[in-house]
Amino acid sequence: MSEAKETPEINMGRIKEIIESYRHQRWPLIPLVQQIQEEFGFIPPRSIPVIAEALNLFPSEVQGVVSFYEQLYTEPRGRNIVRVCRGTACHVRGGKTVLKLVKQQLNLGENQTSDDLEYTLETVACLGVCALSPGMVINNQVYGHMNPKKVKQLLRREEGEE
Amino acid sequence: MQPVTITLNQREVSGRSGMTVLEIAREAGVYIPTICDDPCLEPVGACRLCLVENENTGALLASCVTAATPGMVINTHSSRVQEHRKNIVSLMLASHPDACLVCDKGNRCRLHQVAAEMGIGEPGLEKISRHAAVEELNPFIVRDTAKCILCGKCIRACREIVVEGALDYYYRGFAARPATFNDSPLEHSECTFCGLCLSLCPTGALMESENPYRGTTSEAVQSTCSFCGCGCSVSLEIKDRQVVRVLPAPGQLALCVRGSFGYEYIHSRDRLTRPLVKKNGTFEEVSWTEALAAAGEGLQRAGEKHGPGALAVFGSSRCTNEENYLLQRFARTVLGTGHVDNGSSLYNLAIRRSLGETTGFFTTSNFLETLENADLILVAGTDPTVTAPQVGYAIKRAVHNRKAKMILIEPRRTRLAFFAHQWLRPLPESDLLLLNSMGRAVIEEGLLNREYVSRQTEGFEDLSDFLREFPPEKMQEAVGIPAEEIRSAARLYAGSTRSVIVFGSGVTDTINGTGNIMALANLALLTGNVWGSGCGIYPIQKANNAQGACEMGSLPDALPGYQPVEQEETRKKFEDLWERKIPAERGLSAMEAFNSGREIPWKAVYMVGENPVACLPRPQLTEEALSSLDFLVVQDLFLTKTAQFADVVLPASSFAEKEGSFTSFEGKIGWLQRAIPPLEGSLPDWEIVLQLAKEMGDPLPYSSLSQVMKEIEEFVPLYESYYRPDDYFARELEKEWSYWEERHHRVFQSMDGFSRFSPPRPRTPYFQKDGEYPYYLILEAPLAYFGSGTRSGKSRRLRSFYPREVLKISADDAAELSLNSGERVKVVSPFARLETVVEISEALPAGTLSLPISFPGVLDLFRITRDDRRSPSLEPFYVKLERVNLDE
Repeated sequence: MSEAKETPEINMGRIKEIIESYRHQRWPLIPLVQQIQEEFGFIPPRSIPVIAEALNLFPSEVQGVVSFYEQLYTEPRGRNIVRVCRGTACHVRGGKTVLKLVKQQLNLGENQTSDDLEYTLETVACLGVCALSPGMVINNQVYGHMNPKKVKQLLRREEGEE
Repeated sequence: MQPVTITLNQREVSGRSGMTVLEIAREAGVYIPTICDDPCLEPVGACRLCLVENENTGALLASCVTAATPGMVINTHSSRVQEHRKNIVSLMLASHPDACLVCDKGNRCRLHQVAAEMGIGEPGLEKISRHAAVEELNPFIVRDTAKCILCGKCIRACREIVVEGALDYYYRGFAARPATFNDSPLEHSECTFCGLCLSLCPTGALMESENPYRGTTSEAVQSTCSFCGCGCSVSLEIKDRQVVRVLPAPGQLALCVRGSFGYEYIHSRDRLTRPLVKKNGTFEEVSWTEALAAAGEGLQRAGEKHGPGALAVFGSSRCTNEENYLLQRFARTVLGTGHVDNGSSLYNLAIRRSLGETTGFFTTSNFLETLENADLILVAGTDPTVTAPQVGYAIKRAVHNRKAKMILIEPRRTRLAFFAHQWLRPLPESDLLLLNSMGRAVIEEGLLNREYVSRQTEGFEDLSDFLREFPPEKMQEAVGIPAEEIRSAARLYAGSTRSVIVFGSGVTDTINGTGNIMALANLALLTGNVWGSGCGIYPIQKANNAQGACEMGSLPDALPGYQPVEQEETRKKFEDLWERKIPAERGLSAMEAFNSGREIPWKAVYMVGENPVACLPRPQLTEEALSSLDFLVVQDLFLTKTAQFADVVLPASSFAEKEGSFTSFEGKIGWLQRAIPPLEGSLPDWEIVLQLAKEMGDPLPYSSLSQVMKEIEEFVPLYESYYRPDDYFARELEKEWSYWEERHHRVFQSMDGFSRFSPPRPRTPYFQKDGEYPYYLILEAPLAYFGSGTRSGKSRRLRSFYPREVLKISADDAAELSLNSGERVKVVSPFARLETVVEISEALPAGTLSLPISFPGVLDLFRITRDDRRSPSLEPFYVKLERVNLDE
């Protein structure tokens, strides 16, 4: 699936600017890659050797740090991030079905991004909104008491907003 | 330092402050199992096996990373600790494949050993195997991360010791594993296949490739690597009279791809096993008696007919010190000729002359340990990561681990460019202008060490006047580097009192070779950075015993110890010792002779371990010279191109089959030990020389190698107390180091105290860049190959890794010629042409091409020229390219 993904144009000039603004800081690596992710949505692997050279690190070291953190990404992510809760409370109230429906609706598996870069589907161990279970989050907006109908509506609405 | 006393297993033990609990326990003789710990690596506490219990707090601590503090009460084997250790090992086993039966690591596997010690068989846990693709496409290392236990030794070794940083952990948790950047195969990463990770890996995750199952070897013999001038100590593992594995010896941090994997030539099928005598134009196998008789008779006849001056002997940088000593004595006394030389002189004559004339010492002025402790390293015209890997490691460690600064003067983007603080890329043939203008900047900006200059040097005024012609502002255009950059490099170099200079063929094998070396020496003298702690000049010597061959007097102009042959008192000393008259005139250098082609002034040559057809420029001339000889004896491991011209070929033994010593480029002695008996039918070079002398009716008075060593000790300066193989093999490194320091001190004392500045005037190249020959051609040495490839070419894995030469070209030039990687071109110089394949390289600046030196046809493109000080250099450096049309 990921092979077919269109890779967005990466403005390496901008990445170099970001690197330049961080390189003289103390322990600059993590804030630097966070900044790049903030602007580009992910950390382009092509930028890793450039970052490494500027910070006097080896590319393998930078890659080691980036791959260690769950929330640093080296692949482009969708414009809409859908997170489905698989916590205990959600589970007993049908979270599993919600996840299945979302998968069907978006035609995506867990941790996958659609080819048109519209959606990324993730699961979360617990959203912390057990009172609203089963719950999910789309782009930082929480949706509670999910059921098949609501899933359908919600994802259709997301599409409609385009 | 304050001692620290702790209670260890109910016993009071003390250690020095800063020691870890593990170190104290080891000193006290208490065994704590470890896997990830290695004395050469920073401890990280990855494997957790070294857990101990702190009885005061009840905490379980990884003892390898826990500093001992006064009053600690430690139990290394409490039942709690033991239970935890067992769990850890069981967990490791639960995710480890059950492949022990077919794993070549066998009993060397540390995991296996630890499990056995603790009596763990079945771990009693559900098996969750890691699954990983086995990486085995490269010819050296098989990587199977399913067997990895994440001790991080490979990662740390790669980062801390060889400083390549090819590996790091990738991902997290159970998915974590060591990986290269982009998870690419090793051959597409920074990996240089030095083999260090292989020698450290505790399990079978990293294994030597293409090796049939050999398992544990019963015997390991220490010796010295036979490739480059670094002279690494190696441990040869022997099984069934074969060298099956080469590892760094104790005290040797790392080897390189040649040292670790190039040993295969020892057992090559192409090794000569019977002496050959040419009869009616074809070689016939004969007995040693017959061959020696033929050799002796041929040399004798030529000597009687044309006089001893028509004979010549070649020692070799591949032979030991003792062999070279014997050879030059053989030449000077038995044959009575002064024509003695060794193959390295093409490359180090300029170094010897210019350093001798300026600093007063002929070679490297300090040791690698000093280099590693310098604050500033100036690297000019060399890629030591390839030509002398130990120097490369030392520089990278200094920069990466100690934060030393490095200035790199090199047109190519070599690996060191990644580490350089300032990288200067001078235009072709402009190095001398650059170095002179740096000298000028040092003087002009008052950065010189006035005290040193006035106390220790002469000729400063002349140099200062001379350098007025070279202000950076005037030179910047010709050099292609802005004046301010030249000045800042000069400031950086002069601003440190612990600066070293490393240089190599990029500045020595050029039209201004001698001048470049003098200019570098001037920089060191101006700033007082020649001797002393953290200072030095390091010329990179290519061949393993180039240094020793010269020091033993395998030179046309010097007796052992660089003592000039033209000096009567020196000659007298050796004449008394050898009870023979020695020729008083200096002999002809091999290169001068062979480059006269048919006009070669010699009639008979005894050539030991050299292959001039493959390593001198313009091989046709050498071939013509060899075929116009009346008689040629070649002594070598293989039937080389040179040996083809021989009348008698004597099969010699390799370094693993003999004893003796090599001198490294830094002047240290490395000893060889006989690891395996000489290959059936071959003999060590020194034995052959002794037998030949006997055959010629003038036996040399030695019955064993140790008698030769005794004589060297007595008569060769700086080798006074070198005969110490027992100490050497004991690897008492501190003792050894104090010996070298003491020797260094003696060298310093032996100097007359004064160094001389020499103004190096640039020469105009014979062949300027012009429309006809627009590209500057650089000769490179590929890492997997060595010298002319006589031996490395017989090592199957090295050969398969680098099967043929490629012409590297910059992307700009390739675009201009619309060439793609893999296309065929003809490289045309005024002397020859070579058809080859191009590869676009990011390392080269536009207008520059590079070819590897070790392949047939490459050296045809060059010619030797002599600069104004009679030191040879290669000519020309400009070539043109012609496309090869496949339709033709």
